[in-house]
Amino acid sequence: MQDEQEFIQQLLNPKTQNQAFEKLLQEYQKPLYNHIRNIVLNHDDADDVLQNTFIKVFRYLKNFKGDSKLFSWMYRISTNEALTFLNQKAQKKGVSSQELQTKTIDNLKADVYFEGDEIQIQLQKAIAILPEKQQLVFKMKYFEELKYEEISEILGTTVGGLKASYHHAVKKIETFITSL
Amino acid sequence: MKAFKLDNEPKLTTGFTTPEHYFENFSAKVLLQLPKEETKVIGLFQHKKRIFMAVAAVLILALMIPVYLRYSSQSPELDDVTIENYLTSSQQDMSQIDLISEIERESSTLKMTSDLEDETVEDILVTNSNLEHLILE
Repeated sequence: MQDEQEFIQQLLNPKTQNQAFEKLLQEYQKPLYNHIRNIVLNHDDADDVLQNTFIKVFRYLKNFKGDSKLFSWMYRISTNEALTFLNQKAQKKGVSSQELQTKTIDNLKADVYFEGDEIQIQLQKAIAILPEKQQLVFKMKYFEELKYEEISEILGTTVGGLKASYHHAVKKIETFITSL
Repeated sequence: MKAFKLDNEPKLTTGFTTPEHYFENFSAKVLLQLPKEETKVIGLFQHKKRIFMAVAAVLILALMIPVYLRYSSQSPELDDVTIENYLTSSQQDMSQIDLISEIERESSTLKMTSDLEDETVEDILVTNSNLEHLILE
C-alpha cells in the first residue's frame, strides 16, 4: 500500500474518504475475513463480525494515532470483535466458548460453506482444545501465514513468546490427532 | 500407530469457502452502512434563546399589568378624593351652630396639661392685636 500516513490522511479527509475507504476494503476484506472466519468458524457470523470491524475502523480512524501499522490495528479490532462475538453467542446459549466451538465443528459437515475433509475437521477439533492464545497464534501462523513480527504487533506478545506458543500448539495438535 | 506430524503432511487448508461473489458485494454493503457525517443542527429557539426569553418576560409583565391594577383599586386604603367627597357630603347635613356646639363639647373635654403663669397670659393678651376683634365676634 502507498505511504501509510498519506493514505490515512485520505481516509480522514471528507473529500477523499469514500474512495480511500473503498480501497481499504478491497485491500483487507479477504485477509480479515479469513482471520475472523478462523475464529468464529461459521460464514454468517464471520460476515457480521467483518462488517462490524470495518464500521468500527471507519468510526475510530480519527483516533488512530499511528503507533502501530494500520494493518495490525485493523487485525486487533477484528480479533477483539470476533472473540467478543463468540463469548456473547456462548453466553446467550448458556454454554462455554469451547463448548460452542465444539458444537460448531460438529456441524461443519453440514455447512454449505465448508469443503474440508475428515482430516480438516480433526484439525479443527484439535485446535479447539488449545487455550485461546495458542489457538490464535496457531491459526495466524499456520493458516494465515503471518510473520511472527506481524503477529507480535497484533497480539502484543514477544516473538519469542509466540514461537513457544506455536511450538506447544503444534505438539498438542499432533498428539490429539495421533490419538484418534 | 503412525504419529501425525504437521510438517510431514501436505499443507492443510481450513476448508472454509464463501458464497459466490461475496467479496464483490461486500464493499458496497459496508459502504452503505457507514455512518454519515452528521450536520450540526442548531435549533431556532436555541439560537435566539435570549431574544425569546426577553420577549417572554415583556409579555408576562404586560399580562400582569391589568391584574395589578385590578388588585390595587381594591386596596383598603382610602384615596384623597374619596375622603374629600365624604367630608363635603357630611358637612352639608351639619349647620354652623351644630358645628360650634360640637367643637365646644370637644373643647370642654380637654384637660390642661400645665398651668400657665399669669405673666405669660398677660404677655399674650398684650401682644395679640386680634384679640379684641375676636372677643367682639
